[in-house]
Amino acid sequence: MKSRFENENLKWIPFLILFVIFLPFVLKSATFSYKYYLYVINLAGIYIILTIGLDILSGYTGLMSLGHAAFLALGAYFSAIMVDQLGIPFELSLFLTPLLVGCFGFVIGFPALRVQGIYLGLTTMGFGFIVKRLIIVFSSWTGGSSGLHVSDAKLFGWTINSDWENYFVIYFFVIISVIICRRLVKSKLGRAFMSIRDSEQAAIASGINLPKYKMISFFISGSFAGLAGVLFAHTSNFISTDHFDILLSVYFIVMLMIGGMGSIYGAVLGTLFIVLMENLFIPLFEDSLSKYMYLETGDFQAFIFGLIMLIFIIFQPLGFYGMWLKMKIYWKIFPFNPRKRFI
Amino acid sequence: MTDIILGLIQETISGLALGCIYALIALGFTLIYKATEVVNFSQGEIMMVGAYIHFFFLNLLMALSGGLNGWIFLLAFIGSVIFAVLFGIIMDFIINKPLKGEPVFSVIMATISLAIILRSLTAILAGPLSIIPISPFGDQTFFLNGVVISILDISIIFSAITIMSGFYYFFNHTKWGIAMKATSADAEAAQLLGIPVNKVYRYVWIFASLVGVLSGILLAPRMALIDTSMSFLGLKAFPAAILGGFGSIKGAIIGGIILGIIETVSLGTLSFHFSWIKEINDIIVWIVLIAVLMIRPDGLFGVSKVKRV
Repeated sequence: MKSRFENENLKWIPFLILFVIFLPFVLKSATFSYKYYLYVINLAGIYIILTIGLDILSGYTGLMSLGHAAFLALGAYFSAIMVDQLGIPFELSLFLTPLLVGCFGFVIGFPALRVQGIYLGLTTMGFGFIVKRLIIVFSSWTGGSSGLHVSDAKLFGWTINSDWENYFVIYFFVIISVIICRRLVKSKLGRAFMSIRDSEQAAIASGINLPKYKMISFFISGSFAGLAGVLFAHTSNFISTDHFDILLSVYFIVMLMIGGMGSIYGAVLGTLFIVLMENLFIPLFEDSLSKYMYLETGDFQAFIFGLIMLIFIIFQPLGFYGMWLKMKIYWKIFPFNPRKRFI
Repeated sequence: MTDIILGLIQETISGLALGCIYALIALGFTLIYKATEVVNFSQGEIMMVGAYIHFFFLNLLMALSGGLNGWIFLLAFIGSVIFAVLFGIIMDFIINKPLKGEPVFSVIMATISLAIILRSLTAILAGPLSIIPISPFGDQTFFLNGVVISILDISIIFSAITIMSGFYYFFNHTKWGIAMKATSADAEAAQLLGIPVNKVYRYVWIFASLVGVLSGILLAPRMALIDTSMSFLGLKAFPAAILGGFGSIKGAIIGGIILGIIETVSLGTLSFHFSWIKEINDIIVWIVLIAVLMIRPDGLFGVSKVKRV
């Protein structure tokens, strides 16, 4: 039997995993402030898990979601309540929460069967607002808008309480998620998703059960967001409604677009790019700029953010993935390129 | 009992004013959507920028002449309108021209990025100061059979009606308006008939920007102060446009007014008498929206599209 990945070069995957394992050691020996870098990379890891799930929904199935921060919030709060208030062990919550949030994916996937395009985008956005409000309404459980302290994760007796330990736990799940998604999009399920994205009518005509596959897509996407939420809650130790703003949902889509929709590695790259940009490079500019003018924190950041996004959409709508594809084609037919159409 | 009825009437009038603002913003969405199938997420930000620009002109002119009179309001208004036209042309250059033929999703993301840029740029340039707005009509209130009515609300309702009827006349009785209708029906056929489609698109963006700025000018006196969070009202106008059905001008106006009234009434009298409404009054708009979309997926006045493969 032929492998699904036979026309792909997989030799570099072990090197990538080795790189992920040794990165913190390299950072520690290179800089003194490695803890902050690790914190940023951890955040990126959590967002990577979520954007991969969003990629399944938006990039592969073609369903727009402007409320993915709500799934993250649901995951974070469910896990926090289950572990701290109901006494369920963290290992169990790690499995239960994604399933539960995936079921919420069903709930929001239900309108997706009737509404399309921008209507769906707005419905999911409304879902985001409603979830945020519900967190405040159930403030006896969730602590409302003043936030909730979450205990450290305890994995089989091992308490994970530093950025160093968080890194390995988070990136373990990142690698697992990437592998699952890569296999998923190459399977029958993934092909069904892509056919729905390309043309719903044609998908129906070729015997694809549209409601079923749309629901499955929402379930998978919600589960990944739920997993990201669990990790977010137990590694940052504090969650409040401010963490799950509507803007965050938009930023997730930005990450996806900059990486390239419909490509798992693209989603990973886009997320890394945006999170590192936001937390490492922009503050440097902001510091030097704030000597000359008054700057409210976050404004300059958002400005650069919007600018990068606009430039990418206008000049490189397929993102990093598109760049990579163009480069590949360029080198394949290298001496005989029709015109200079590089990047 | 009469208390409740009086309160409801009062809030309905106030809600009508808010609804007119929503309707104007929704009109901006609808104009662009009808012509180019693009959903413009930056409409709320245009409104905010409009309010800022209007106030900037007012301040400038007041500093120049040393007083405040009707001419200053008129001049500031004209200045804002000129700004709106320029802004529309810039938007056409940034968003519409380079992204022609791209998938609608990328254009939507481009408008979102424009919204982020506008909001942060306003915050950087105008600083964190919050400005207290003033209105040419004053902010007095008067009693009518026990109902308190604010002159500001009345002025908003009348201005909005004037603007809407102006647009109605433009779309149905002028050459360019009919050209716009033709373009939105079928761009290629319109081009074959000699309509300069690119020019029409530019006019559409200019009109959307104009509506945005006008709604900003109208809304500003109703707010206690102007700051960048005003643009989130644009997000609230989305349900209005969706409720009426995206792409229907009538739907946008009616949807806006319905949502304005629902929001104000649920915030006022109803929340005094039913405490549970108080908990959810900022998402009631979205609940109504989702409920309507469940029953009619294309909104109240929308027409469902037939897709060809």
